[in-house]
Amino acid sequence: MIGAYLLVFLQSHWQGPRLWLGFQPDLTPALLVCAGLRLGAGQVSTAAMLTGLWLDSLSANPLGLSVLPLFIAGWAVFSFREFILRDELVAQFYLGIAAGAAVPLLQVWLLQLVGSNPLLGWQMGVWCLVNALLCGVAVPVFDRMAKLLDRWFSHPAHDPNRWPNENRQIVRGKN
Amino acid sequence: MKRFFYKSQQTAVGAVLLTVFLLLVMPEGVRARLKSAIGGLFLPALSISTTGQAALESLGQLGVSDRDPFPTNQALGQGSGATSSITELQLENDRLAGENKRLRDAAEWEQRIPWETRLVRVVGRDPFNWWRRIKVNLGTNKEARLRLNQPIISVRGELVGRISEVGPLTSWVLLVGDPNCRFSALLKESRSQGGIVSPRQYSADPRVVELTYLPNDVEVRPGQAVVTSGMGGAFPKEIPVGQVVDSWVSKNGLYTEARVKLHANLNQLETVRVLVKY
Repeated sequence: MIGAYLLVFLQSHWQGPRLWLGFQPDLTPALLVCAGLRLGAGQVSTAAMLTGLWLDSLSANPLGLSVLPLFIAGWAVFSFREFILRDELVAQFYLGIAAGAAVPLLQVWLLQLVGSNPLLGWQMGVWCLVNALLCGVAVPVFDRMAKLLDRWFSHPAHDPNRWPNENRQIVRGKN
Repeated sequence: MKRFFYKSQQTAVGAVLLTVFLLLVMPEGVRARLKSAIGGLFLPALSISTTGQAALESLGQLGVSDRDPFPTNQALGQGSGATSSITELQLENDRLAGENKRLRDAAEWEQRIPWETRLVRVVGRDPFNWWRRIKVNLGTNKEARLRLNQPIISVRGELVGRISEVGPLTSWVLLVGDPNCRFSALLKESRSQGGIVSPRQYSADPRVVELTYLPNDVEVRPGQAVVTSGMGGAFPKEIPVGQVVDSWVSKNGLYTEARVKLHANLNQLETVRVLVKY
């Protein structure tokens, strides 16, 4: 949640990428893909709701509009993650690209459905493709950061086969 | 009952769909207040970011003021030290000269502008690329309380937009070029009136807008100045908007349209002026 909060804040208040690229990248789909790969159902839906509400509160979008596209991205990954090689870099990259392309398109479609008139054009398509690539790169990065934070702040996983002291391990067999 | 809650996936999907449905059917006033309340959650982060920036700037200046500008040349090894001090001084000199020029320009333009203005800082932008809005660090909390639809101009007096939402500590400004920011403008030379609208096609350059509904018998040339007309009450008269880039006759042949490049660089706004009295 802190990561989502910081990401939304940076997207609104840090203009560096806008000056370099000419547009502001939206990496929240990558965050939801990571959530879908690692977290439970409740956490994915909470992440989608909070990220979507935070994004819309800093934007001219109707409140709640971004929740559904982000939820769809995270939920789709969550539903099929047993069939995905979720630790593989390539798989994460392609999932990020797919989410980075699909979420803005869904957001624009919903905006037009509710009667808003966002600025659209063929240059938006170029922006969407570049954003998708950036999301593809961001998913493995977010995944590594999540594993690092998990290692720092969580208890280590219990390994029943590992003894704390090698000398105390009972070895059965001849001699 | 327990079995229902054990189906956590169904619960999660249901919760999200219910939330989205409730938000969409909510009355507009309630939704606006809720949006403002959720946006207020970022104020602590904004304060920390602003304080951090100010601290970094003051640390930078502290380093300069503490340094002895004339280090004593004591030994042979001091030669390179003196050279690096001169280089640092030159860099600092260039920085101060640039800041001096910006402040002089701002003071000079302030004398030329016929309205009473107040400087505010830009602290954020709409994260989505299909809206053009910026956030400024003034709301209803200080003496100069901002009001809805107050015009915003750049430090040099060029049109930037108008206030679209006012909060207690921050306010949103709708930039020229946003689909919701339309106003009447005229060609300064011929005084022909038209309307500034957002470009039909999304453009990565936020400085390009369209001037439409110009009469067909008016000569529109590249380089012509465009200013606000004062009609409709959105903006006062004669605020510089931009320059004509090119023009064409509309598809139905009833009017002429022109592409206008704004004077203000909307991607690099750091400080803007609010027209307090106009």
